[in-house]
Amino acid sequence: MEKAPSLVRIVVLTRAEGPDSCRDTLDALTQLGGDVEIEIVRDAAACLAATASGQVDAVLLDRASPQASGPVLEALANAGPPLVFVTDDAGEGAALEAFRSGAADCVRVGPDYAEVLPVVVLEQVRRWRQQAAQSVAERRIRDLQRYNDDIVQNLNSALVVVDAEGRIETANTTAEEILGVERGRLVGRVLWDWFVGEPRDGSPIGRTLSEGARFKGAETEVRRSDGIVIPIGLSCSPLAAAGGAVAIFQDLSEIHQLQRQVLQTEKMASIGQLAAGIAHEINNPMGFIHANLFQMAEYLGDLRQAWERVDDLQKAVQDLEGAGPAAPVGAGIEGIRQASDALTALVRELDLDYVQTDFAKAVRESQDGAERIRHIVKDLRDFSHHGSDDLAPADLNDCLDSTASIAWTMMKHSVVLEKNYGELPPVRCFAGQLKQVFMNLLVNAYQAIEQKLGGAGGTGTIEICTEPKDDGVAISIRDTGAGIEPTDQTRIFDPFFTTKEVGAGMGLGLSTSYSIVRRHEGRIDVSSRVGDGTTFTVWLPVDGPAGG
Amino acid sequence: MTRVARVLLVDDEERILGALRRSLRREGYELVTAQTPREALAKLEVEDFDAVLSDHKMPGMTGVELLARVARLQPNTARLLITGWAQAVSPGDKDAATIDAVLPKPWEDAELKDTLRKLLAARAS
Repeated sequence: MEKAPSLVRIVVLTRAEGPDSCRDTLDALTQLGGDVEIEIVRDAAACLAATASGQVDAVLLDRASPQASGPVLEALANAGPPLVFVTDDAGEGAALEAFRSGAADCVRVGPDYAEVLPVVVLEQVRRWRQQAAQSVAERRIRDLQRYNDDIVQNLNSALVVVDAEGRIETANTTAEEILGVERGRLVGRVLWDWFVGEPRDGSPIGRTLSEGARFKGAETEVRRSDGIVIPIGLSCSPLAAAGGAVAIFQDLSEIHQLQRQVLQTEKMASIGQLAAGIAHEINNPMGFIHANLFQMAEYLGDLRQAWERVDDLQKAVQDLEGAGPAAPVGAGIEGIRQASDALTALVRELDLDYVQTDFAKAVRESQDGAERIRHIVKDLRDFSHHGSDDLAPADLNDCLDSTASIAWTMMKHSVVLEKNYGELPPVRCFAGQLKQVFMNLLVNAYQAIEQKLGGAGGTGTIEICTEPKDDGVAISIRDTGAGIEPTDQTRIFDPFFTTKEVGAGMGLGLSTSYSIVRRHEGRIDVSSRVGDGTTFTVWLPVDGPAGG
Repeated sequence: MTRVARVLLVDDEERILGALRRSLRREGYELVTAQTPREALAKLEVEDFDAVLSDHKMPGMTGVELLARVARLQPNTARLLITGWAQAVSPGDKDAATIDAVLPKPWEDAELKDTLRKLLAARAS
């Protein structure tokens, strides 16, 4: 027979008085071997008290039916440790009754009592201990689950687990908030139903499920249940064991707003630099329109004087006609001649031939000037247009042109601009942001040239080249400016790094450009030699940012 | 004045030169124009002028620099800068010190005529 596991505590409720009342039972229990602690109690209340201590492994009701019955027996059965009934009754009825009362087992006192009892008790003790151990393990698992659940639910990021079909198995509260769904309503629904404009196979999650692809921070959009579109950064990985995928995503609305603010700030900074150039560009046409208007007013005065003479002449003619046949013709003709001479003299004096032609010329030139101002304002509006911040296919040659025409107002006196555009496919992009990149690069190129010229006059060259390249488009902006020191070349994309004098820029231009290009999943490279100039090359994929 | 005053107008913007001509048309000057500082200097090498009126922002050379050269070439010539570029003339700039008058762009016709008339009269006396 097996040895009892460690210390075994058994409570024996016996009906009879005296130490020998349960001698046979005690003798049988010594067969258990090992450490056994036996407490003998003689009434049900004491038995219940002993059992409730929590240290008991089994309770033996040794021929104790008179004491242990009714509610007390029920309490004992519910207390936890197994109840083993010991009975003298040879009939089946006693055993049945015992099991009905909640017995774990029932032993009949017979010739083999001493062998049977220890086996039964040991079995019950083992079961009870196993059960206790299991419930501890279950509690631990429950605690661990609750702990994990707490972490998952309280994550600042949305966490969603989907099965192989994309149906949601687990979702935390952040996921419910971002997707705008009531608590607990996500489970069972298909995740990519929320993604904007992406069929199953196009969405990162779909591709994770079908190809096992992993995504880290892919930018995409979901349409919340109330219809509002939310930008999110999505990471997902396949769950190899379960065949599904886990997706973690963050609401990027706030980050996007900050990015827009930074962009706007930097845009304002470069516009500040451009403003002087633009003011000059507007001022020239304003200058001659202003002077021309003044002159045209004078011309109008001259012409009005001439008109008065014409009026005099007409009156003289009317006088002659109205004088009737009796009047002397000579006087009337004399009046006409005088008026005509006065007109001729005035035409000569005011040089009205010239006035007339120059008036027309001044009008034409002023119209041209107004048109130029209109054009500059339009360029400016095109450049800073907010609506072009949408992701849409754009002709980057056009974007470069509208940016260069603004930049040109600033640089025209010291720069020769060369454009070598290749034929480009439309590029899916945030055109407004890319224009910002181009503007930054052009402003830098111009400033590098100014730095090299050092106010000594002369010009530098900026060359803009575009060409299709590797499923994308390459744009290079080359200048013949001062160049970038090798030690600075690694730092130029760092935020707030600048070698410009105070007020010439915040040092955000290139870092902003870098993050814009990266957002488009493109590249930006620089090659530069001090004294020779710098070339920035931007490569952008035709498809634009994935998942966007 | 026995002789008609000769005035050189310099601006890279043809239309500005046209407008200046119109403004000064009845002032009785002989007006000569140049569209680049280089062209202006070439004219100054071979002809005398009583006044030079120049724009500031021009390719190759600024108006301030041009007028400083004019001061060396023909010291008696009146030198006027006409500019919308407020920072063009900074106090302490020794080139700028050679300028007799700065006019804003856009200019007022009366102010332009008046300033030029006064500067020329001061030189004639």
